[in-house]
Amino acid sequence: MNIFELKIWDDERKKCTFYTVHVDGNSENETDRFFYRYADEKNDFHEESNIILRLVLENIGNKYGATDDFFDRHKNEAQALPPKPKKRIPEIEEIGIHFPLRLYCYRISESIAVLFNGGYKDNRTDQESKEISLKFYEAQQFAKKISKAIEDGTILVDLDNRTLLNFDGKKEIILY
Amino acid sequence: MRSKIAEILINKMSAESKIFADKYADLIVLINQILKEKQYNQKKLAEKLEKRPSEINRWLTGEHNFTLRSIAKLEAELGESLIEVPVRKLSEKFELSSGKVTIHTYRNVSDNNLERNSWIRINKPTLRLANVG
Repeated sequence: MNIFELKIWDDERKKCTFYTVHVDGNSENETDRFFYRYADEKNDFHEESNIILRLVLENIGNKYGATDDFFDRHKNEAQALPPKPKKRIPEIEEIGIHFPLRLYCYRISESIAVLFNGGYKDNRTDQESKEISLKFYEAQQFAKKISKAIEDGTILVDLDNRTLLNFDGKKEIILY
Repeated sequence: MRSKIAEILINKMSAESKIFADKYADLIVLINQILKEKQYNQKKLAEKLEKRPSEINRWLTGEHNFTLRSIAKLEAELGESLIEVPVRKLSEKFELSSGKVTIHTYRNVSDNNLERNSWIRINKPTLRLANVG
């Protein structure tokens, strides 16, 4: 895996700060690449990507925070948005189950989450989906590296200020 | 700091997308809360619906859109309201104002030895005067 920077994607929300990863050599960070892909109004999934964006910024970012309600599609380390309710009532399964897009993410706390990339899910599992299998794999790698860095102290988590810091106190975080 | 592309998209987003995302999120949170409170699982649901657990499991992997009918079924199952339609207040201009009403009536006064074809305006008294006679 390439070198990547863990950087702020949006820190102006009331309940949650969003980070993203920017792979060395790419012109855009992973989350911007996701939204740019569907930015054209003529794109088949333009509305769906807007819905995910609204979910992230307004509902998770401003209203509820990164709670269990929204981060329950466990995909190994990384998780996927949009959420689906718990599998207990048949009709509940209908919400979100047919939603065509997936945006991968990693929740550090209810007030800090890292967003990755994602795409259109065209198969039963993410790994079998042509468009997102690679994104799924990459999200796992990013999440594992971030998780390990937090564990070994390379990344410091400042919950009071909802920020992540490099072990030396600086805001720039580069992982290998 | 904000993502530039996110800001552009949010500003151009249709009201429909915003409403859908917001209501979806609210519904998710509410349903999860109710399930937790009621401690529902597949077995309990199967018993409640008098179905086999395997059949419930097939439902759980089914694919169909969330409809008003589905919400109604869910509300019936959970015994809780999930979506409420606001009651609309009547428009003020149709409300009768309190106080006195003046009624204007017109009659032909020829039968009362008054000038023919004269019309008088009768105001229904709104205040009874005390009998001082």
